[in-house]
Amino acid sequence: MGKGRGYWVAKPSLTTVALDPSPFRAGLALALAAALATPSAAAVAPSLLRARLNADILSSDPGTRRDENTDAVLLHVVEGLVAVREDTSIGPLLASRWTVAPDGKTYVFQLRPGIVFHNGAPLTSADVVWSLNRYLDPKTRWRCLSDLSKGGLAEVTAVTAHGPLTVSISLDRPAPLFLKTLARADCGGTGILQRASVDPHGAWVAPIGTGPFRFAAWKRNQYIELRRFDRYQARPGPPDGNTGGKTAAVDTVRFLVIPDGSAARAALLRGELDVLDNLNPVELAALRGKSGVRIQSAPSDDLYALLLQTRDPLLRDPRFRRALAISLDTAALTRAITRGEGRPDSGPVPSPSPFYGPVESAPIRPDLAQARRLLTACGYRGQAIKLATNQRYPLMFDSAVVIQAMAKQAGINFEIETLDWATQLARYAAGDYQAMTFGYSARLDPSLTFASLIGDKAKDPRKVWDTPAARRLLDRSMAEADPVRRQAVFDDLTRAWRQDTPSVVLFNSGRITALRSTVSGYRSWPAQQQRLWGVAVN
Amino acid sequence: MLPYLAKRLLLTIPTLGLVAVIVFVLIRLVPGDPAVVMLGEGADKASILALHRDLGLDRPFPVQFLVWVGHAVRGDLGTSIATGEPVAGLIVERFQLTAAIVLVAVGLATALAICGGLLAAWKRDTAWDLGVVGAATLLLSVPSFWLGLMLLMVFGLRLGWLPVVGYVPATENARLALLFLVLPIATLTLTESGVLTRMMRASAIDVLGLDYVTHARAKGLSELTVLRRHVFPNAFAPTLTLVGLTLGHLLGGIAVIETVFTLPGLGRLMVDAILARDYPVVQGCLLSTGLVYVLINLAVDLIYPLFDPRVAVA
Repeated sequence: MGKGRGYWVAKPSLTTVALDPSPFRAGLALALAAALATPSAAAVAPSLLRARLNADILSSDPGTRRDENTDAVLLHVVEGLVAVREDTSIGPLLASRWTVAPDGKTYVFQLRPGIVFHNGAPLTSADVVWSLNRYLDPKTRWRCLSDLSKGGLAEVTAVTAHGPLTVSISLDRPAPLFLKTLARADCGGTGILQRASVDPHGAWVAPIGTGPFRFAAWKRNQYIELRRFDRYQARPGPPDGNTGGKTAAVDTVRFLVIPDGSAARAALLRGELDVLDNLNPVELAALRGKSGVRIQSAPSDDLYALLLQTRDPLLRDPRFRRALAISLDTAALTRAITRGEGRPDSGPVPSPSPFYGPVESAPIRPDLAQARRLLTACGYRGQAIKLATNQRYPLMFDSAVVIQAMAKQAGINFEIETLDWATQLARYAAGDYQAMTFGYSARLDPSLTFASLIGDKAKDPRKVWDTPAARRLLDRSMAEADPVRRQAVFDDLTRAWRQDTPSVVLFNSGRITALRSTVSGYRSWPAQQQRLWGVAVN
Repeated sequence: MLPYLAKRLLLTIPTLGLVAVIVFVLIRLVPGDPAVVMLGEGADKASILALHRDLGLDRPFPVQFLVWVGHAVRGDLGTSIATGEPVAGLIVERFQLTAAIVLVAVGLATALAICGGLLAAWKRDTAWDLGVVGAATLLLSVPSFWLGLMLLMVFGLRLGWLPVVGYVPATENARLALLFLVLPIATLTLTESGVLTRMMRASAIDVLGLDYVTHARAKGLSELTVLRRHVFPNAFAPTLTLVGLTLGHLLGGIAVIETVFTLPGLGRLMVDAILARDYPVVQGCLLSTGLVYVLINLAVDLIYPLFDPRVAVA
């Protein structure tokens, strides 16, 4: 592997082109075959799995310059001490086990023996110390630095090696969500890297991790290629989230950057693509029932909501917000927008969460008569409310259209304002809106979901729920480790949310993936991240 | 000629300076914050402010502008906020692909337009004329993304003759690169040939009615010779101007075609940068597009007298 201009290059690339055998086509195929004929290609036919990315990755440095695509690709290459299980709980990955000190401030991890990096170097506690210190250096711009610094979840005060396979991490205060933070995809799973991932000056080169695939090639805006790591040591047991059974079933995984949805669908139907993840529900009709293609979906841990600015003169009245909530039939809205793949929700705890209990699952029933009474009581006279949305994310746009129509039946007058995503995001961050359809990506723990909603609007205007009671309950959920007590706190938070209605939760979407029928072993899951280990092409 | 060339080249400096100011101001007037886009919906205020500091976005606008211009005159267009890559390198790399497609497509479209326009003018008010004008009008009216998708569906998906997605640089494998570029070039050729054909036909009709064409025919020259020697050079000059303008705007990026055919060209780079508010990339792309426009117009002005001697390069 060596660095080329603008991209990483590896040994001969595999072609993705498959042409049909008519005379003309055969001619083209012959030309193509001649063009591609290399001694190595003729000798072996390595297995190749091709998956789509709707945009290129931002970097190969986990948890730094990142987005959802970057996280998904790099989690095939790097692994952390712990990872998320299928049920969104935390399980061991590079650590075989860990202990937490009685004061809850020190975690001691025992590393699995015999693990080697992609460059053949053995994994030791020194690598863990080096990697974590690099992440905690502000120059690295690690996404989760603020969570593990002063003012965040807890500050990491020391990372210490105790022998070759033991490492401890000290915090300034107990933080039951510490391990969950380490495992977060947007933190790059806090992947442990070998020092050769950076050059002698500390500049990033390429990820050398311990994952089932090694980073082989990155042609910017074209594809990222990962190759099977033959010395990978999978944790025993069946596939389980990002933790166990991570065996590469193909020699090469190629993530193709295909921005256009129609082109991606054509590529799948033509057989130039094996996995088409993150399908929009409206695209389902074009693929359902097509020969050679099957659809798989799983409920997502995300959240789509109608955000309301509680500082707005009109929307500060909780009666108005309550009227708005009961004017919407979220079950019908979800069915229509997600084509039956999403689940209606009425509070911030997502439906796939283990904490989604009877309190969280109780629906808010639409009641137009009561909504009209509440509107009259708060003196609403049909003033227009600006509803910001965007067309980059169709679920947000479609939600806005349906909300406008449903709310109109109760007499609420929404005016849709379509923005580009960057503008909407800036207005969300500044709290500069009356109402807005918005989506929160999977957080995998209700405390983290509530944390993105609750806070002091004066300090952080993006927060949508700013009451002392909510903040107290959030702090309690963050400090509590016992699941039963946490459930009680989430129940209280959900009841308070419904009482105050700072915003209206609409649904949790479904993660829809279209696969060639030759693909086996693919599993969608609530974390919204495509996993291509254990996936084979027959 | 040389003093004229030097004068025109000197004039590009204030033109590009003006472009730089407009581009810098306009992109910052558009709402949106690169740090917020980069960090996503989960980012807290402290992280956003820290990233502003790292990127120099916390400095006053005039300072940011002077820093950017200072580097730009030395050929350094900065680094991409989103990916950290040098902008100049990104533009050069992407421009090569866009330029290859555009130059071939506009060349083919011009050839089609010359043949079609001359034929339609020569056979004016016949079925030939009707056919050419109808086809040109149809091509003018069809959006490039739709035509591209249709070609992709027919030749890629239904017939299976050509690949649907992907791209291989010609430097790696020329034959494979050609296969990947057939559909985008065909799409661009067809969409651009419509307007050029209409222009060529209109000019040729004007020229065919002039006395010297009648005189040439009276001398007994064949129709082909009349068209080739007397009609084409005189009718082509207005089309040449249009070709120049077309090249200018297409070399600035063919984002739609690049997106449909998953080609990593300049247009996609610019659109992605605008959506991400990647200021250095947007500024670099627009500045280089301005430069390309100026140079192409200069080239057209220099070539023009070859077709129309009444216009002298002064």
